[in-house]
Amino acid sequence: MIVLTGLNHKTAPVAVREKIFAGCLEKKDLFPALMAINGVEEVLYLSTCNRVEIIASIGEDGLAIKELGNFLSRSGGLTQSEAAGCFYEYRGEEAVRHMFRVASSLDSMVMGEAQILGQVKDAYREALEKYATGVVLNRLMHCSFRAAKRVRSETAIAVNPVSISHAAVELAKKIFGSLDGKKILLIGAGEMAELTGTQLIERGAQSIIVANRSLVQAELLAEKFHGEAVALDALEKKLIEVDIVISSTGAPVFIVTADMLKKIHHQRKNRLLFLIDIAVPRDIEPAASALENVYLYNIDNLQDIVDENMHIRKKEAIKAEAIIDEEVTRYMNWQKELESVPTIVSLRNKAGEIVQAEMEKASGWMQNLDKEDQEKIDNLVNSVVNKVLHAPVTVLKEESSDISSRDIVAAVRRLFRLD
Amino acid sequence: MNLINLQLIMFKIALILCTVSTAGYLFSLLVKRVRLAKISTWILAVAFGFLTINLLFALINSSLLINPGSRDFLSLCAWSVCAVYLALQFKTKTRVLGAFISPFILLFMIAATGETSGKSLLPQNMQNWLTAVHLFCVIMGEALFIIASCAGLMFIMQNSLLKNKRLSKMSMLLPSLSDLDRINHICLLWGFPILSVGIIAGAVFAGLSWQSGWLTDPKIIWTFAGWIIYGFLLHQRLAIGWKGYRMALISGVAFILLLLSYGSVRICFSTLHNFI
Repeated sequence: MIVLTGLNHKTAPVAVREKIFAGCLEKKDLFPALMAINGVEEVLYLSTCNRVEIIASIGEDGLAIKELGNFLSRSGGLTQSEAAGCFYEYRGEEAVRHMFRVASSLDSMVMGEAQILGQVKDAYREALEKYATGVVLNRLMHCSFRAAKRVRSETAIAVNPVSISHAAVELAKKIFGSLDGKKILLIGAGEMAELTGTQLIERGAQSIIVANRSLVQAELLAEKFHGEAVALDALEKKLIEVDIVISSTGAPVFIVTADMLKKIHHQRKNRLLFLIDIAVPRDIEPAASALENVYLYNIDNLQDIVDENMHIRKKEAIKAEAIIDEEVTRYMNWQKELESVPTIVSLRNKAGEIVQAEMEKASGWMQNLDKEDQEKIDNLVNSVVNKVLHAPVTVLKEESSDISSRDIVAAVRRLFRLD
Repeated sequence: MNLINLQLIMFKIALILCTVSTAGYLFSLLVKRVRLAKISTWILAVAFGFLTINLLFALINSSLLINPGSRDFLSLCAWSVCAVYLALQFKTKTRVLGAFISPFILLFMIAATGETSGKSLLPQNMQNWLTAVHLFCVIMGEALFIIASCAGLMFIMQNSLLKNKRLSKMSMLLPSLSDLDRINHICLLWGFPILSVGIIAGAVFAGLSWQSGWLTDPKIIWTFAGWIIYGFLLHQRLAIGWKGYRMALISGVAFILLLLSYGSVRICFSTLHNFI
């Protein structure tokens, strides 16, 4: 039986998550310790900043799941009261569905984010290296990767940006096409401006100029980007050079006015100018938006875009859930076939089909034989087939009571191409 | 099978492909998928290939240069627009531009279908190499102008979407402002000299063969007006430094005005260029 237990950003506060995260990180013998739990056959440990989860294949009684949960809370040194209500437990189909949803980023804090799939893959790789996975979890993980890939390519869940800095970058691309060689001016040394600046540089922007009231701070930030630092008085001159302005000062008045932009419009040779004002109160006069070839976005405009995209993602999530349903059904069907009885049946059927096909092929020359000989040949063929099948079928029957039979069943299905 | 028949088959294939590609482009605009526009671009490229072969056959028939048929002439118009558009695709990845340009190509193709293939376009007394140069350059120049204006119209759309602070699907589909502005720039830069050569060739021919009277021909005035607007735009761009919205707006408006005036001249007046 597949089970999954753990906690995430929805069920546990960050204080609890980080305790468990750190606790498990310290444990060098994490996998041996997990495997040592009674009833655990295969196990995988997934830990990201938003979740810690254990996925395991355990004995049919399902008792080991409690042990796994206890293991986590012990590792984090949680008290009874801290642990209460934080952990969720999924069994069977529910566990499979949860795993698929996690890998497809439907369970993430920012739905549709791309990192989680990489983290799941890393977790799987680690478990593989420790020989902690087997037939069941290997198949589960491969199916979850496929589900995630399908969700990504068949829905628009990850298409539109859902963070302010990404939205700003996306807008810059819609204005300038390529960001190669574009110059950026950061007004104020805020964190948000820095983040947006970093992303623009990553996408090819050429250089950053930092203008700040305190020149020292400007120099500090400029150093990070290997850029240039200037005082606020030099702002107007610098505005002539740049293509993108990100403003985030705490100033109570407008730092960039429409008149200022109008004045330098000619000197800028009418080049397109993208202004991002993430300061509250605003740094850039709203009237600037009416100027030709000037595109001004304030924090609310960007937030609106993010909200709308989030809305689109939620709509796409419905489509994604349908894909997850399909994949879960597919996986559960496969798992059902892992039981020995259906495998014995399909093995016999396959042999029967082969015999029938070969006999039909031979029917041409066998017509010439008399009936008695024909029956003899028939019996001979059947008895050979039965003898050959006898040993595998016996082993399958013997092992069917044992949970480890799945490996043998999987092997038989593969050897005889029954899937 | 003789060459004329082969040429006709090439033309028909090009027409079908062009129709498919135009439908694809328009549909891509409707469903807002860039991939569809990409496929349409490939189809258009194949159509362009067939159209080229069609024109090569016409050339072998030795009728195109000096004595083009009406169909060949309109095919040449379609071919020119197509060539410029596809060439631009190498420079900028602006597939969706095709949704605005392919209808023009298709219109030329349909008009060409309406003409009988053997009919010669020019009256006997105008068939010489000067008119051939004149014809080709004027068509090429106007084709570039069409594309410059289409890019301008798209710029206006994208501009208003961005000014209204909506990063909608439509805005994601349309090319970036810079790319559109660059297309406008490239087309004006190439189109103006080519159109100039075409007009000069026409003027030299007219000066030699007609002596007087041709300057007041409505279609010549119309072309000349287009040329002046063209020159004005290019001047503003290169010397004054106009960019972006204003450029897009004026080229769009000029294009629509010229289209209207051309239509009315064609319907209302009898001119020396009655054949087009």
